[in-house]
Amino acid sequence: MDLELAILFLQQGLVSGLVIGSVYALLALSIVMIFKTSEVPNFAAGEVFMAAAYCALFLMVFRALPVWLAIPLTLATSFLVAALFRRGVLTQVAKASGSPVNLVIATLGLSYVLKGLVRRTGYGDTPRSFPALVSTDSVMIGQASLTRLDMAIFVAAVVVMAAVFWLFAYTKVGRSMRAVGMNPKAARLMGVNIERVHMLVWGLSAVISAIAALLIAPKILMTAEMGSVVTMAFAAAIVGGFTSLPGAVVGGFVIGIVENLVGLFISSRAIVVAPFLVIMLVLIFRPQGLFGGRFAIKKV
Amino acid sequence: MQLSRRLLTLAGLCLAASGLSPVKAQEAGITANSIKIGMFAPLSGANFAYGFDVANAAKMYFDKINKDGGIHGRKIEVVLEDDRCNANDLVAAVKKLVEQDQVFLLHGGSCSAAVVAAKEYVVRQKVPLVMLNASGDGALYPPTDYIFGAFSISQYAVGGAMVDFAAKNLGAKKIAYVNHDDAYGAWNLEASKFDAEALKVDLAVESVSPTITDVTAPFLKLRAANADALVIVTYARPAALLIKKAAEMGFNKPIILSVTGTANLAQLAQNVGGPDALKNFYIQEVLSDLPGGPKIKWVYDMYKAAYPELSAKAEHPQTYMPYGIPSAMSIVKALQAAGPNVTREKFLEEMKKLNFDSGVMAGPVVFSATERAANKATVFIKYDGTNQTMVPGVFTSRWKYKG
Repeated sequence: MDLELAILFLQQGLVSGLVIGSVYALLALSIVMIFKTSEVPNFAAGEVFMAAAYCALFLMVFRALPVWLAIPLTLATSFLVAALFRRGVLTQVAKASGSPVNLVIATLGLSYVLKGLVRRTGYGDTPRSFPALVSTDSVMIGQASLTRLDMAIFVAAVVVMAAVFWLFAYTKVGRSMRAVGMNPKAARLMGVNIERVHMLVWGLSAVISAIAALLIAPKILMTAEMGSVVTMAFAAAIVGGFTSLPGAVVGGFVIGIVENLVGLFISSRAIVVAPFLVIMLVLIFRPQGLFGGRFAIKKV
Repeated sequence: MQLSRRLLTLAGLCLAASGLSPVKAQEAGITANSIKIGMFAPLSGANFAYGFDVANAAKMYFDKINKDGGIHGRKIEVVLEDDRCNANDLVAAVKKLVEQDQVFLLHGGSCSAAVVAAKEYVVRQKVPLVMLNASGDGALYPPTDYIFGAFSISQYAVGGAMVDFAAKNLGAKKIAYVNHDDAYGAWNLEASKFDAEALKVDLAVESVSPTITDVTAPFLKLRAANADALVIVTYARPAALLIKKAAEMGFNKPIILSVTGTANLAQLAQNVGGPDALKNFYIQEVLSDLPGGPKIKWVYDMYKAAYPELSAKAEHPQTYMPYGIPSAMSIVKALQAAGPNVTREKFLEEMKKLNFDSGVMAGPVVFSATERAANKATVFIKYDGTNQTMVPGVFTSRWKYKG
């Protein structure tokens, strides 16, 4: 490979990695938010992402609703379904048995239900294109080629991430969420409605997944299996430390960039392996993740 | 002592009687009036476009045979199972059909990776398996006595024919080639390399995962190869992503898509962002004519008559529908040749002798003592998102199984 080509690949890998990484980062945020407040890894995150994309497709393409109505409806539906799942299923499971394993299995159950529902509609049987809300004309950044849609994905993802950080850092609701994550008993004693906070966290997490789906769906084509992209988000969350919101974002970008650079400089076959190699390296050299705190023994 | 002698005599008589008895045990799935065939295909799930209407086509052909009097007075009875193109579901369906439904033969499989998973069981049980439309090369090479397939096309032939077409018809000296990094892709690539060497063509190969979501890296490497044509031998979704990326990056060389990625052409045109992405675009096909063309119109007419409700829907018949006919024809021909006292062994022997033109596919169905892949011929069509124009000629691979 000559130097000129290597520089082109490097530029393209970085830029494309940032775009796809911003979507991984959003999904990783949605996973980490739930894990921070309830210590349950949400294994339905990919299917929430997929179902939200199909909900928007149904409203925009098959019901011909205008974008300004279809998108808020999709986000509201995602919020409601996730919040009600938390209230109607997880709360009951937690009451019936305190084991977190049961909660994890309940999230797996949700993933199967959502995938089954999408398959039942028949829309998931063939790869479908989601209408891009922004033009796909090419734009050059240095020697790297991007589309306007790519730029919109990156900007929108960064805005959503900033909004999430603002929510957690500067609003009463965000502080309640953090308090529940740190010490639920103390939060309850301070008057925080724990159940309401859990519902809000699940709802908000689903909204973030839905936004990620709306951004990326025009690029990756829709199938009932599109939720598998969440594997990258889990990788991003692990790299970031799994309990750190900034870590999830950085992890998302790291995975996106590594994936592209490995594909360009090593082999296209290695793309799917790259995130797992990054996880292994992080677990070997910094087991708590890039932004995870030091290991502490929980007092019982 | 006398008792032992009597017992021995009785046992001897019993043995003799069993050997002389004119009533042999009935072959599974065969009665005086019926032949039970166990069919399996993806009737639901993400891959149902590969087999739902293919199974319908095979069923309607059997119905026609039944209406015409059946085979040696026996009517074909089909038991249909959903395999979802998933290896676990497919093997479960096969076991159910063999052990519970006691079928005479198996007729199914629309996805190679899934159907290959049934090979060991089928061979162990000595049940004939005639694939529906899967290539299933992994179960055909090395050949066994029980499995026949590639009625649509062998994947070796798919890969080799793509290179043959790009070199002969488009004059390509260097080909950018993308395949899957699985067994399917390996079969394609093996024959492609064989043909490339024979035609003195350079291949720049990128192998990608079937689940790839971002094709930027492989596409950039393919573009950097500065080839004369881009050959895509993948499933529909990665193919659409690559064609879309090519359009976004202003790639203007010919793009040729293998038959594995053409399940829904109208959807493909939408998925790549419209006809602009298909300005210099060819698809590989294994039918003898354009879909609905005069040579195969009878298949579409038969489908319309058999499934009026499905025909009324825009997405039916699915692209691969006619692929169900050659395998059904082969079963009927072999059953007829096996005669009224058909057994699985007789049926298998007749399958090995088949050599006929179905009129549906680009090439004839040809089996032999060592050949289990039915079809190796392909044609090519120029597709602009709306119109399809047949390119003259039949293209195939030089690759041969050497054992």
